[in-house]
Amino acid sequence: METFALLLQGMATSFELLNLGLLIFGCLIGLFVGAMPGLGSVNGVAILIPITFIVPPTAAIIFLAAVYYGAMYGGAISSVMLGIPGASTAVATVFDGRPLAVKGEAMTALTAAAVGSFVGGTVSVILFTLFAPPLAEVALRFNAPETFALMVMAFATFVGLGGDDIPKTIFSILIGLVLSTIGLDLITGKPRLIFFGIPGFLHGINFLVLAIGIYGIGEMLWTLEETKGKVQMSKLSVNMKEVGRAFSALKKTIMAMNIGSFLGFFVGILPAAGATPASLMSYGITKQLSRNSKEFGSGVPAGVVAPECANNSASTGSMLPMLTLGIPGSPTTAILLGGMILWGLTPGPLLFTQQPEFVWGLIGSLYIANFFTLVLNIALIPAFLMVLRIPFAILAPVIFVLCVTGGYAPTQSLHDVWLMLLFGFGGYMLRKLDYPVAPAVLSIVLGPLAEKAMRQSLILSDGSMGIFFDFSSKPIAAVIMYIAIVLLIMPAFGPIYRKFFKKA
Amino acid sequence: MSIVTKFTVRRAEITVAVVLALCSLALMYKSAQNRITWSAEENMGAGFLPFYLSLGMFICTVITITKFILKKSPQSTNNEPFIDAVAFKFVSVTIISLVVLVFAIGYLGIYFSLIFFLAFYLRYFSEKSNSFILNFSITTPILTFLFFEWLLKIPLPQGISEPLFYPVYDVMYGSSSLFMIWIYIIVTVLSPSALVFLANRFIK
Repeated sequence: METFALLLQGMATSFELLNLGLLIFGCLIGLFVGAMPGLGSVNGVAILIPITFIVPPTAAIIFLAAVYYGAMYGGAISSVMLGIPGASTAVATVFDGRPLAVKGEAMTALTAAAVGSFVGGTVSVILFTLFAPPLAEVALRFNAPETFALMVMAFATFVGLGGDDIPKTIFSILIGLVLSTIGLDLITGKPRLIFFGIPGFLHGINFLVLAIGIYGIGEMLWTLEETKGKVQMSKLSVNMKEVGRAFSALKKTIMAMNIGSFLGFFVGILPAAGATPASLMSYGITKQLSRNSKEFGSGVPAGVVAPECANNSASTGSMLPMLTLGIPGSPTTAILLGGMILWGLTPGPLLFTQQPEFVWGLIGSLYIANFFTLVLNIALIPAFLMVLRIPFAILAPVIFVLCVTGGYAPTQSLHDVWLMLLFGFGGYMLRKLDYPVAPAVLSIVLGPLAEKAMRQSLILSDGSMGIFFDFSSKPIAAVIMYIAIVLLIMPAFGPIYRKFFKKA
Repeated sequence: MSIVTKFTVRRAEITVAVVLALCSLALMYKSAQNRITWSAEENMGAGFLPFYLSLGMFICTVITITKFILKKSPQSTNNEPFIDAVAFKFVSVTIISLVVLVFAIGYLGIYFSLIFFLAFYLRYFSEKSNSFILNFSITTPILTFLFFEWLLKIPLPQGISEPLFYPVYDVMYGSSSLFMIWIYIIVTVLSPSALVFLANRFIK
């Protein structure tokens, strides 16, 4: 009952004029960002975070969460109309969305995507409301050792479940952590890794510099290479008859909605997973369980609904560990978490008691953003199609302007803009060679928090690492640490399992 | 066969791995300038964490290089070009123009540099008319100025062009007369349109 009252209060916060205005604006930007090939929620949030400094934290998080949410809806538009995923989260939407568009049923695909996103978003936000307060209550008992163990588990999930090349994944995690150590040592106050005596390194590397570099500059270079500015758009006829037909086609997609919503939420909670694997998994499972699985890939609405439900559900799910435990569930939430630190908040369970307006304002806004995005999405489909016709050669320099100004604004140092360029180019090269870049962003955000938790724990234990593995004194930390170890060594068993399986 | 197409994924993989290995060694060397020891008796040295994290990076790159030599990674047997010629033009011109932009920001200031950057970029890659390019290149920095300096109150670098902005600041912070405010509005709002008009008349 108390949760319900807090939720209503949160919704009331979202309806305040500034918050509601930013929420709708955020949904619109999110839809736009999601619809543009090459830009996803993570790019939108990374590039827009510097402009949130002028509003209070609650309004800022509502705006950025709406961008995140809108991008999940918007990704489907270019997947269906161009055959290019608007973001990696909408890759699975192409499998059946594009064939539907080619058959002349683009409106069915777009409506299925929008309704699927709405259902996934609604189910996940209800699950979020139910799970968040008890989880935060448990997390309130966490001290430095438990916090450090959680961070290690977040890194380990990338290794165990990320599915990328293991040495390259670990390299990405480590380089993010090394970058986070640049600047003054928090205990001794000594300068660390000050290259060529450049004073700009003394204040450390702001996570935004890496995030904008990788997700702004790097992503644009990647998209310029992939598309070369040339795309082919499907034809779309928008009338009430088409919309009605689209809705009647959705009756057969109930199973896809259930799978997408629930699977998406729980996959989204995992730090390494996020919306992209959630949508791919939902598509795969729905296809396997469907009676007409052979038709998948040739244009069935269920093949659009499942991944769209899942990516929206996962985006909400990934906010659960961010708010309750202070560890992000996806690259976008890693940047949101960094944003909270910039706004002067301490991410973690204490937010529920110290900043209830912030937490419940965010949760309440998710319900409202979900509704507004559905309406805006369907109503503005013709407008988004116009936007998709903007040549990339015009959009790209605008994004570069936003990146350069966004990279400069937080610290007002040109040194950071140079670093951002370096990270952008480096991130682009590494991504081309299958080095995952998301772990590096997660690490640079979590690095200072992990280091602080680790060193506090070691002071508590007089320098003994045993504090993280001792079941008698720190059982929660020990359990989490052993899970992290299992996740870390799990990939080593993959080849052994495959060998055994082949012989059998 | 051009240099671009000769640079295969295979070559890129080993080149990048070796560069990253050298960077890791450099980081270890730099970290070792602080104390890198740690024991129960003494606190962790300031260089301890960066040193061992860099060592971890180095080990990862050695594994990547070993996998390359043993041809165990997909990239090690991929002889396709790392980037095709058309994409290389897009990417390289973009990178060079961004580097020039950031250099120029330090001298000319961000607003004038952006005008040149946008005009060059759009002229090179888009097929838009000169008037559109001129309008776009001038309007974007004006909007950037209004957004950052007026709305967010964040000053962006102005380099040698800074004195040109003093009258604008006088207007923004109210030490100027109403007449000057009108002049400012007319200049900022009408100048792009006037330039577009001139461009339409005199530029093909």
